[in-house]
Amino acid sequence: MLNLTLLALVVFSLFAVQTQKLRHAVIYLGAFSMSIAFVYLLYDAPDVALAEAIIGSSLSTILYLVALQKYKIFTIYICVNDKEIEDAHFFSGEKTLERQLSKFCAREELEPQIIYTVEDVHKLFEHPYAIIVTFDKQYITLYAHPENYKMQAMEQFLLNEKPADTPYRFIQMED
Amino acid sequence: MNEHSDLTSTTLGFIYPLFIIYGLYIIFNGHISPGGGFQGGAVLSAMFISKYLILPLLDTPLAKIQTVEKLLLLLIVATPILFLLTRFNTAYAVLNTPYLILMNTLIGFKVACGMSVIFLRFVFYEMQ
Repeated sequence: MLNLTLLALVVFSLFAVQTQKLRHAVIYLGAFSMSIAFVYLLYDAPDVALAEAIIGSSLSTILYLVALQKYKIFTIYICVNDKEIEDAHFFSGEKTLERQLSKFCAREELEPQIIYTVEDVHKLFEHPYAIIVTFDKQYITLYAHPENYKMQAMEQFLLNEKPADTPYRFIQMED
Repeated sequence: MNEHSDLTSTTLGFIYPLFIIYGLYIIFNGHISPGGGFQGGAVLSAMFISKYLILPLLDTPLAKIQTVEKLLLLLIVATPILFLLTRFNTAYAVLNTPYLILMNTLIGFKVACGMSVIFLRFVFYEMQ
């Protein structure tokens, strides 16, 4: 049992270091705290285990999450054409695009917040956004916010990656 | 995190009383079982902090909490001085357990106040 938990510690810490999104790293750290609290328990230190479990997995996790909220967030809306969001969306072309965008954000040290939505594009323009992606049969359209100065770099990046079946169309919005 | 979520608010509504009971249990049983003032106080402050997840509003009087915390610090210093240095503990040995419980309670509430103040200040006042 002890060996298994120690192994889990190594795995969780490696995940936390290796993941591209900070938010995932925070969750891995919470899991790491829970496992190390269990290790303390197995080493007959319940007092320390209690403190570690509370502070490590509740207080510091929430603090990190709040801090991430205050960090520059790159909000990406992905418009889905159907009436409802289905699981299939998370495995199809949207997913590949999402992975590429995440990769781009990791390279530019931005924290992506990716939201799938069924709302109309014109309604979304009122929300705070960095990029809105829509899909139709001819194009994958990316609308960029007027203050989004990363758009050209993103254009380059997406065109350099292996091209999708449908061509991209980039539109920089104006005020 | 700024949007209202029914799932979190309902779940935390169930968990709230358990938070309080568990925190108080850890504090009051600290002298005979694992736990104590610090751990119990951290559980209590986790309650305040999870409240932020439901309703991100500053309706907690921060200044009052800070005053209470300072008073508790004064009491934490004063109680051992009055109890131990005056040799009360040898004269009235019965009072030892109530003394430990009292100290754990004071420390617990001070930790709860302190952690909540740190968190709320960080959330509402530290701008980008």
